Amino acid sequence: MLDSILVANRGEIACRVLRTARAMGLRTVAVYHHADRAAPHVGLADSAVELHAEVPTAAYLDVAQIIAAADHTGAASVHPGYGFLAENGDFAAAVEDAGLVFVGPQPEVIRLMGDKVHARAFAAEAGVPLAPSALMEGSFEAFLDAAAGIGLPLLIKAAAGGGGKGMSIVHDAAELEARARTAMSEAERYFADGRVYAERYVEQPRHIEVQVLGDGRGNVVHLFERECSVQRRFQKIVEEAPAATLPAELRARICDAAVKLAARANYRNAGTVEFILAPDGEFYFLEMNTRLQVEHPVTEMVCGIDLVEAQLRLAGGEGLPWTQDALSVTGHAIECRVCCEDPARDFLPATGRARVLRVPHGPGVRFDGGISEGQAVTAAFDSMIGKLVCRGDDRGQAIDRAVAALGDLTLLGVDHNIDYLARVIDHPAFRAGALHTGFVTEHADTLGVPVLDADARAAVVIAAALGVDDFRRLAYDIPEPYASIGAWRN
Amino acid sequence: MGATTPARFTDPAMSTSFPFTLGGQTHTLTIRARRPALVVEVDGRCYTVREHPSAAPGESTLRIDDRLHEVTRTRESDRIHVKLDRTTWSVGYEDPVTAAQHDAGGDDVLRADMPGVVVSLNATPGATVASGDVLLVIESMKMQINVVAHRDGTVENVHVEVNQSFDKGTELVSLHPNT
Repeated sequence: MLDSILVANRGEIACRVLRTARAMGLRTVAVYHHADRAAPHVGLADSAVELHAEVPTAAYLDVAQIIAAADHTGAASVHPGYGFLAENGDFAAAVEDAGLVFVGPQPEVIRLMGDKVHARAFAAEAGVPLAPSALMEGSFEAFLDAAAGIGLPLLIKAAAGGGGKGMSIVHDAAELEARARTAMSEAERYFADGRVYAERYVEQPRHIEVQVLGDGRGNVVHLFERECSVQRRFQKIVEEAPAATLPAELRARICDAAVKLAARANYRNAGTVEFILAPDGEFYFLEMNTRLQVEHPVTEMVCGIDLVEAQLRLAGGEGLPWTQDALSVTGHAIECRVCCEDPARDFLPATGRARVLRVPHGPGVRFDGGISEGQAVTAAFDSMIGKLVCRGDDRGQAIDRAVAALGDLTLLGVDHNIDYLARVIDHPAFRAGALHTGFVTEHADTLGVPVLDADARAAVVIAAALGVDDFRRLAYDIPEPYASIGAWRN
Repeated sequence: MGATTPARFTDPAMSTSFPFTLGGQTHTLTIRARRPALVVEVDGRCYTVREHPSAAPGESTLRIDDRLHEVTRTRESDRIHVKLDRTTWSVGYEDPVTAAQHDAGGDDVLRADMPGVVVSLNATPGATVASGDVLLVIESMKMQINVVAHRDGTVENVHVEVNQSFDKGTELVSLHPNT
């Protein structure tokens, strides 16, 4: 059993990991950059170590400083959260070389899965279905020929990729060469690795992923699937568990494929195997994420488990906490990612101060937040400031609760996507489960800011006016004869 | 700071108008009655407004005509962030004094932030002024507003005359910094 942990992250995930670690009685250490000194994760840990860097994000990427912080505070283990160093094999190795426990997979497994080309080859060996694809193994011309042989449309991806960078869809054979070259130069620029590959592009695909947990000795259980089909520019915005609609037999095959892959890698700790599900029911390996995912709470809520607790127990040397037979799904859960961005201006990241922050409560409602009221939201970090997760007895109830909870979630002072999220999950097509990764583009017309009628507009203006002192004085304070004088100020 | 004696306006309704912007459009809110209940006019329609503060700061319930709304709001300089029932809005409001002086920050030219009329001129070209001196008095939204120098300097040019009406954005006075 671990007795202490350093959480090498910030924001909501740092808070979430720290809470479970505290509940388990571990001594906790937070790290932070000066820009985050007022952030809630700093106060949630028994001690906190400041990391120094000119650029705030660089602090959370500084392997040497983080390991020094663990050493200085006597933390016996390191949890990387997600993002930052979570999928950096060198970081995991450095943690282990320092004699600390890394709460995550073996460094070589992180490296294997981080290279999309190697991961695909590994998945193929494990018998996991792959979309027909072409790798750049010989000449560029040979790659183009092989790619053209797959048939259109095609998706070109970076071998070292992620986040949509270096990704391009080819609908026309004449575009293939130019798109491939663009993808290679983008891949070179973002990942310092110009290798790309092409695979069949599935039209109207769904994103289905399977949560797995391994003991590092070949024993793996799955915690069923999540659906993350609602995305914007390859970024998930709404996730749910179980999938909106999925025949039991297909679900079993997808979960089995994930377990086979993880078992073959002797996977240790929590991981996620992502698949593309085609409208015809075929599914293809996408990638394996070797960390806790942003959307892990939906699995926790339908399985009734704490994934971070499982991670910490596994890292502490205990075996798998459950047998596969002991795991089941009850109800349905939906997660909405709350981001500071302006839906009216193409989701431009927004900055400001969270002057008012009221989080919702109620049966089945969970808010994993990473900022506190009064805190500044800056451009230094990711725009996601929290996740609203709601569970219901069925999908309809989960949606109803999430819509209501989004309505109760109040964040004033910085633009956000809360109202947009409510429109997404309350959309008839979302309620019908008609999901695919182009959902928000397909329904863009009906997901925009609704046009208010005159009375609704007036209500907003009146509500605002009552926040103006000059207006209040005239409306309430001044005896009638003087009210006519006007709003004198000097 | 220059002092201005308030003048009485004959049209009480017009003296209690407030401009707000919502979604790029301006909406003028005018107080039409204060007793027995507050009545405001927005875009030509009148609404009876009753406000009941809630226990939490910044929160209240608002009855507009027969409809009850839950409101949370916070003001941040020229924006009022409002949560009305289940949706969030950002409403623009610039009080007239701020509006008149808005462009003064860092600019040598003072511009009008809203249409109005020049009531009186204190500034004359070549005059030395100190920060806070009243350069001219304008009337806008039926309110008289002192336009003050935003820093020390010399009046370079006065672009308007007494009783001249001007549009939003009109140059009023140019200052030249003292060297």
